Order: sequence, then structure tokens, then C-alpha cells
Amino acid sequence: MLLFECFKRKRTIKLFMKLSKKQRHWLDFLSAMTQKEIKARYKRASFGFLWVVLNPLLQMLVMGFVFQFFVPVKVDNYFLYLFAGLLPWNFFAQSLTKTTPAFFYERSLIKKAKFPRESIILSIIFSNLFHFLVALLLLIVALIGDKLLLEGYGLMQLLFYALRMLWVVPAILLLVFFTVGFSLFTSSLNVRFRDVNFMVALAVMLWFYATPVVYALNLLPEFLQPLFYLNPMTTIIEMFHHALMGLPITLPNFIWVAIVIIICVFYLGLRIFKKESKNFDDWL
Amino acid sequence: MTVIKETIVRRKKSSDEVVISLSNISKKYTITHEKPTLVEDVSRILHFQKKEEYWALKNVNLTIHKGEKVGFYGPNGVGKTTLLKIIAGISAPTKGSVKTKGRIISLIDLEAGFHPDLTGQENIFLNGLIVGMSRDEIKEKLKQIIDFADIGDFITAPLYTYSSGMKLRLGFSVAIHAEPDVLLLDEIISMGDENFRKRTSQLMKKMFGNGTTLLLVSHSIQYLKENCNKLLVLSHE
Repeated sequence: MLLFECFKRKRTIKLFMKLSKKQRHWLDFLSAMTQKEIKARYKRASFGFLWVVLNPLLQMLVMGFVFQFFVPVKVDNYFLYLFAGLLPWNFFAQSLTKTTPAFFYERSLIKKAKFPRESIILSIIFSNLFHFLVALLLLIVALIGDKLLLEGYGLMQLLFYALRMLWVVPAILLLVFFTVGFSLFTSSLNVRFRDVNFMVALAVMLWFYATPVVYALNLLPEFLQPLFYLNPMTTIIEMFHHALMGLPITLPNFIWVAIVIIICVFYLGLRIFKKESKNFDDWL
Repeated sequence: MTVIKETIVRRKKSSDEVVISLSNISKKYTITHEKPTLVEDVSRILHFQKKEEYWALKNVNLTIHKGEKVGFYGPNGVGKTTLLKIIAGISAPTKGSVKTKGRIISLIDLEAGFHPDLTGQENIFLNGLIVGMSRDEIKEKLKQIIDFADIGDFITAPLYTYSSGMKLRLGFSVAIHAEPDVLLLDEIISMGDENFRKRTSQLMKKMFGNGTTLLLVSHSIQYLKENCNKLLVLSHE
């Protein structure tokens, strides 16, 4: 009896080791693919990795200039407000438009080798996440500088401000989950139905205006506001605005709607991917 | 429908360990014509038509033991590549089950995993992970891989500067140093110069001495008879 127990335990340990080896390879592979994405992007640029920082800085300047003077929206510190929303939005939009045709672009690899297919999608998203986080860090530096130099915050005030910024953590988590789920969904479908790519490009354009990035939700008529929360990006962007700009979330109860939708999208994306990925080879 | 006839070319004492076992494998492809998939799906539903289907393989059973050298022979379109893809895990069978043991590597296209802007060394890591090696394993064998590929100082240069022969050698070197348990070769690979071919055949001999299983697809029955101990002839019924 004891021997049997021992044997069983040994087998489970063996199974666990086997599993963890597989998982380790998966992680290794994913990190290598992500590094490839990041490295290859700047490989032949003379400024190299400087572009990671330069890009968001220049974008901040251009957008700030354009919107400061040409779009009259009644929000304090509009330039910083705009950027706090634009960064997560860009992460989402760029990831989605790049991942949707990704399986199709990597067809030569998919047809020749067996490897975890999801790594193609995840590596694009994680490389975008890296760029997003760098830009976010720059924005936070700019925000703290603004508070210290222009608004004359004291130490305690600054501490509270920094504590509120922790809200970006759940916001980023939701954003990544939503992006991964949605990308898996569109990219898997795009293998068979190539129209998806064009639909996504169009949808992202419209979606931008359905999300309070360049405007604020409380400027809209009240009866419309709940409708906007059917779009999870509204909640995510408002969370960023809350964390970075200290603005209240317009309808806090509706956060749960977004969370439920994000979970559903993630689950659906995963299901479709699992079903379709077995037969990618047949359709590419 | 594909029928497989098995002939033993020469007896070889092989172990009883089964590396590949296919039971009742069927593979169905949906035939699409010039129209996009969605349009075809819709028009098919409107016209009450069934999907146009093609069974590339039907109820195929196959068992391959460790250390065997198996040649696949048959006319075009009989399902050789489909069979190999199913064994390699690139494509999933519509029905039936596949059981494989160990690391399976196919040398169909060696450059598929390369990125032209990354250096040779970075590409070794990428490709090594694609064929299933762990990071530590690649680090350990890095020098061997570079030496065997024989590309000298180019190893730190981006891959787009490589000649096609260099790329081929690098890809082959990574695949062969992954020490596959099963090696899939679609068509005979004759690559590189005389020197490289010699070293390749030496290494291959050493590998098969260690019990590597080889699956070889070719249109030359002569070549297969010389190099395999088991011949599988695929034909349409």
C-alpha cells in the first residue's frame, strides 16, 4: 500500500517536471520571440533603441501642439489628459491591427514547423507593451514634474498622488487581457476569412471616436453615457485618466460591465484560437 | 483513398520501442476555388450544397519503431506530405490519433524561422527554440553549431548579408544539433559544397548509430532502397 503511494507520488512528480519543462520552453520561446520583435524593429536604425524614448516624446509634442490650439475641449491640462488616454489606446489599436494578419504573414513558418502558435500573437503584444510602458514612464515623469514645478505640490500631496497612480496596474492588466483576447479572436478568424483584416482596420478607426480619448465622457448627454460603457476601452481609458489625472470615473458602477465583457472576449478568443489553430496549416 | 503497402528492404535489428504510432488517421481538406471562403460558404448555404471535400488520407495505420529508416514512395498527391505533416504535428488529423515520442524535426525548409535583420547568433537561438531546444541546450551547443555551419566571422553579421549556402548550412546545423529522435526529410537534400556534404553524411551516420529514426520521402525508389530498411509505397486505390 505504502509502496503504491510512493509510486503514485513519484509519477506525479515526474509528470510535474515534464509539464514544467514544457512550460519553461514555452516561456523561453515567447521571450525569444518578443525580443526578436523589439530588436528587429530598431536593428538598422542609427538611433537604435533611442527611438523607444524618442517616438513617444515626439508624438507628445506633435499631438500636444495640434490639440492644444485646434480642438477646444474644456478639460484641465488637456495636453496631459490627451496623452494619458492616447498611450493605452495606441497600444490597443497598434496591437490589434498588427496581430490580426500576423498568422497570415508568418505562414511560411507555420507551414514548416511545430511551435506554439499563440507566441506569434503574444510576442507582438508584449513588444508593444514594452514600448507602451516606456512611454507611460515618461508621461509619469512629466506629470510629476508638472505637479512639482508648476502646481507646487508638497511632499504629502505628492505621496497621495503617487499612491493613486497605482490604479494603472489594474488598468494595464485589463488592457492586456482585452487586447490578447480580441487579437486571438480576430487573428484566428483572419486565417480563413481574410475580410476580418479589413473590417478590423475600419473598426479601429471608428472605435477611436467611440472611446473618450480626445474628449471627456462627462461632456456627453447623460442618457448616452451608459451606452459607452459597453465598450470596455471606455472603462480602461477612464481608469487611466483617473490614475494619472485624478479625474473621477463617470459611472463607477459600470466598471463591472467592462470586466465581464473583457472576460467573455478573452474566453471566446481563446476558444476560437484553440479550435482554429489546429488547422492553420490547411488554410494558409 | 490511399493504400499503404509495406515492404521490408533489409532486416535490421530495431528495438521494440514504438516512436510513432498512427491509428485510423484520416485527413479531410475542404476544397475552395477562386472565390473567398466567406462567399463560398454563403453561396453554398443558399444553394443547399454540401461542402466540397477531399480526403487526402483515410484510415491510415502506421507504427514505426525506434531506429528504423523508413522510406515513403508514391505518386504526386497521394498524401505523403500530409502524412509527414501529421507526424510532425504541423497539421492535425481530422480523425484518428497520433502518438509520438521524443523530438521530431522536419528538414523541409530550414530557413523558415530566420529573421533577416538579426545576426547569425541571434538566429541560432530563435531557430533552436523553434525546433524545440531549450535555451541552456543552445548555449551549450552554440560553439558546435557555429563550427559545423562554418560561417566564420559572419556569425555576428545580420542574416541578410549571408549567401544562400551559408543560410542553408546554419539552418541545417541548428536542426542537426538539436539531436532529434525522429528526423523527417522531404526529398533528398543535397546541399552545400563537397566538404559540407561529407561532414553532413558523417554526422548523419553517427546519429543513426545512436538510434535516430529517419523518415524519408523521395521520388527515387533506387535511393530509398539503398538508404532505408523499410519501404512504404503509397498508392491510390
